[in-house]
Amino acid sequence: MEQQQTLWQFINQQSGKLLQQTVEHIGLTFISLLIAVLIGLPLGILITRRTKAAWAVLGFAGILQTIPGIALIGFMIPLLGIGPIPAITALFLYALLPIIRNTFTGINGVDPVVREAALAMGMSNAQILFKVELVLAFPVIMAGIRTATVINVGVGTLAAYIAAGGLGEFIFGGIALNNTNMILAGAIPAALLAILLDFLLSLLQRMSRKKRKVTLWAMPVILLLFSSFYLLPLGYNTKLLAGFTPEFMGRQDGDIGLRSIYGLRIRTVVISDAVMYKAAYNKKLDVISGYSTDGRLKAYDLTVLDDDKKIFPPYYAAPVIRKEILQKYTELAPVLNLLSTRINDSIMTELNYRVDYLKQSPEACARDFLQAQGLYKTPRNGRKGRVRLGSKIFSEQYILINMYAMLIQGYTDLQVDTRTGLGGTKICFAALQNDQIDMYPEYTGTALLAILKPSSAEIARLAGNRDSVYSYVQQQFREKYNLDWLTPIGFNNAYALMMRKKQAQELGIRSISDLTLYLKKTKV
Amino acid sequence: MIEVKNITRAFNGFKAVDNLSFTVGEGMNAVFLGTSGSGKTTLLKMINRLIEPSSGEIWIAKKKINEQPVEELRKKIGYVLQNIGLFPHYTIAENIGVVPGLLGWDKKKIYARTTALMEKLHLEPGKYLSAYPHELSGGQQQRVGLARALAADPPVLLMDEPFGALDPITRASVKKDFKELDELKTKTIILVTHDVQEAFELGDRIHLMDKGKIVQEGAPDELLFHPVNEFVRTFFDEQRFQLEVRTIGREDYPALIHAFNHFKNGQA
Repeated sequence: MEQQQTLWQFINQQSGKLLQQTVEHIGLTFISLLIAVLIGLPLGILITRRTKAAWAVLGFAGILQTIPGIALIGFMIPLLGIGPIPAITALFLYALLPIIRNTFTGINGVDPVVREAALAMGMSNAQILFKVELVLAFPVIMAGIRTATVINVGVGTLAAYIAAGGLGEFIFGGIALNNTNMILAGAIPAALLAILLDFLLSLLQRMSRKKRKVTLWAMPVILLLFSSFYLLPLGYNTKLLAGFTPEFMGRQDGDIGLRSIYGLRIRTVVISDAVMYKAAYNKKLDVISGYSTDGRLKAYDLTVLDDDKKIFPPYYAAPVIRKEILQKYTELAPVLNLLSTRINDSIMTELNYRVDYLKQSPEACARDFLQAQGLYKTPRNGRKGRVRLGSKIFSEQYILINMYAMLIQGYTDLQVDTRTGLGGTKICFAALQNDQIDMYPEYTGTALLAILKPSSAEIARLAGNRDSVYSYVQQQFREKYNLDWLTPIGFNNAYALMMRKKQAQELGIRSISDLTLYLKKTKV
Repeated sequence: MIEVKNITRAFNGFKAVDNLSFTVGEGMNAVFLGTSGSGKTTLLKMINRLIEPSSGEIWIAKKKINEQPVEELRKKIGYVLQNIGLFPHYTIAENIGVVPGLLGWDKKKIYARTTALMEKLHLEPGKYLSAYPHELSGGQQQRVGLARALAADPPVLLMDEPFGALDPITRASVKKDFKELDELKTKTIILVTHDVQEAFELGDRIHLMDKGKIVQEGAPDELLFHPVNEFVRTFFDEQRFQLEVRTIGREDYPALIHAFNHFKNGQA
C-alpha cells in the first residue's frame, strides 16, 4: 500500500485547481451579493415607505430562505439550465432576505424624533434617507450584508452540482471518493473565506463615519472586481464541452485516467449526476461521465463510448454487510443472495428508467420486479430483530434497497429500517463501520478504488478482471473491516463516457480514443 | 405675523383641533397652554406642515403656507422639540449647521454662526464643536437644539414643550439663557406647554386650550383676573397665589399692604 497522502501534499499537488475553485467561489459569492444588494437595499427602503407591502415582501423572501439550498438549485435547472446563471440566481435569492430585512429593520429603528427633527429642519425625503436614515441604519444593514455573505460562501459550495464551479467541487468530490484530504481542501478554504469576508465587513461596519465615506465608494469597486474573478478564462478551450461529476473528476478510473491513459484534453465543467443527463440531452453538454446502467441513458437517447483502453474497472454490485449481523441472523445471507444473477445490465437500466424517467416509485418498481420473478412474499411482520439497510443517493440504490427490504420482510421474521439517501460512498461506508447501518449495496470498483485504494501495481495485477476484483475486495474487507461481501447481483454499473447518439454518429465517434482524436484534430 | 383661519384637524372623526382662528403679531411670544390631549401640539405641527390640516388656512408673513414648497417653508421656521431630537451621527457643529447647510451657506459663514450661537448659549465651542450629542448633558443638548433652530435666523420659531424633558434646576438655567437671548426679541414665537408658570413667564399672550378649542386668549393677567368661565378659573386655582404675586409685581406691594390694612381696619 502506498503512503497515505497528507492534506498539505494534496493541496500542493492540486494548487492550480484549488486556486481556480477559490477564485470561482469568490466570484460566485460576490456577483450574487452585488445583485442582492442592488435589489435588496432599494426593496428594503421601499417597504419602509409602504408598510402594507412589507409583510408580503419579507414573507416571500423568508419562504425563499427556508428552501434547502440543494432544492433551490434544483428548481433553477428547469428554468435556467446549468452553469453560473442558475447558481448565481439561487445564491442571489438566498442573500435577499437578510439584506431586505436588515434594511427594513435598520431604517425603522431610527428614532422617530430624529426623523421628525430632520423633516422639520427642511430636509427633503431623499436628504432624510441619505443623510439620516441610511447613515443611522448602516450598522444594521451591514450586519445583513455580512449574514448574506457568509450564507453565500456556504451555499456557494452547492454550485458545483450544476457546473458552476467553486470549492464545492472538492467537497463533493471528496465525499463521493472517500477522500478526506479532498473534502478538507475544499471545506477549509470555504470556511476561511467565510471568516475572512465576515471579518473584513465587520471592520467596515464598525468604522467611523468619516472613514466610512471613502470605503463606501470603494465597496462597489471591490464588489465588481471580485465579481469579475468569475469571468477569468481558465482551463482548455475545446469544441466539445464535458460535464463530469465531482467524484469522476478525482478518480484514477475517471478524469485522471482519461488524461493520463487516453490523453484526453477537453473543456470540463463539474456537475451533479442528477442533472448531467438532461444537460447532455439539452445540448448544454456534449460528453458526460455516466453510469452504464442508468435509466436516463435510455430516456435521453445517449450512447456509451467504448472504453477501448480499459480504464474503467468492473463495478459489480453486491451487498456489503456487517459480519456480526450475518452470524446473529444466519437466515439473512441466503435471503439477500436470492437476487444474485437475476439482474443484468439491461434489466437494471430498464428498472432505473422506470424510476428516473417514468417516475415510478422505487418501491413499486421493486415490488413489480420481485412479483414478476416470483420472489415476492407478503411481509411476515415478525418481531425477531431489526436489520438496518442503507443506500447511496441515487435511484438504483433505492430500488435495490426496496427489494432487499421486501425479501427480508417476506422470508424472515426480521424487521427492516431503511436509511436511504446517505450521500456518497464515504457516508455509507462510515455508517456501516460505525454500526449505524448493517448493510448497503456497494460496487466492487468503488470499494477497490475509493475505499481500499491499493497501489497502482496491485490495481494493474487485478487488471479489471471481474472475479479477481471481487475476491480481492471481499478478502480485504473481511480482514480489514470485519465486513463481508455477498454474491454479486449480476449487473455491472461501471463508469462510462456518454454522448448524444446523434452527435456521436455524425462525428463518427464510437470509442474514447475516437473522441480524443477528434478533439486533437479540432483543437481551437 | 402668523394668521390662522378656521383650522381643523380630525383624526378618524375625532377633532384634535376644532375650528381655531387667531393671529400672532410680529415679534410676539404666543404661548398655547393646555393639558395633554388639548390639541396644542397638533396645532403647532400644522404650522410647519408636519401635520396637514383637514380644513382651514394658515398664513405666515402674508403668504399661505401650503402654496410654497414645504422644505422651503420649514427652513424659514425654527423648530425646538420636547425630546430634542439631535442627529446622533452629527457633531454638535454639524447639528447646529444643518439648516444653513441645506440653505447652501458657505462653510466659513456656517462656522462663524455656529460658534457665535454656542457662545451665546454658554457652550464652549473649543470643547463641544466636534463632540457628539451623547457626550452632552440633557441641558446642553437642549441648548444645542435651540441653537439648531436659530442657526439660519428664521423669523418664526416653534417650540414644543422645549423645557419639558429637563429637571427643574437645569430647566431654570436653560430658561434663563433663553430669555436673555437678544435674537429672540425680534422673532415671532409660538410655544406650547402644559406648565402654567412657564406660560406666565414666557408669554406675551396666552391661549388656554381645551378639547381642540381656545377657551380664552389674552395677556396673562387677563386670564388670571378675568376668567371667561369656570374652566379658566379652576385651571389656575392651584397656583393662583404664586401667579398673582408674579403678575402684580414687586412695585405694587406697598399698595397691596395698604389695601390689606384698610380692609382689616374696616372690619374692626
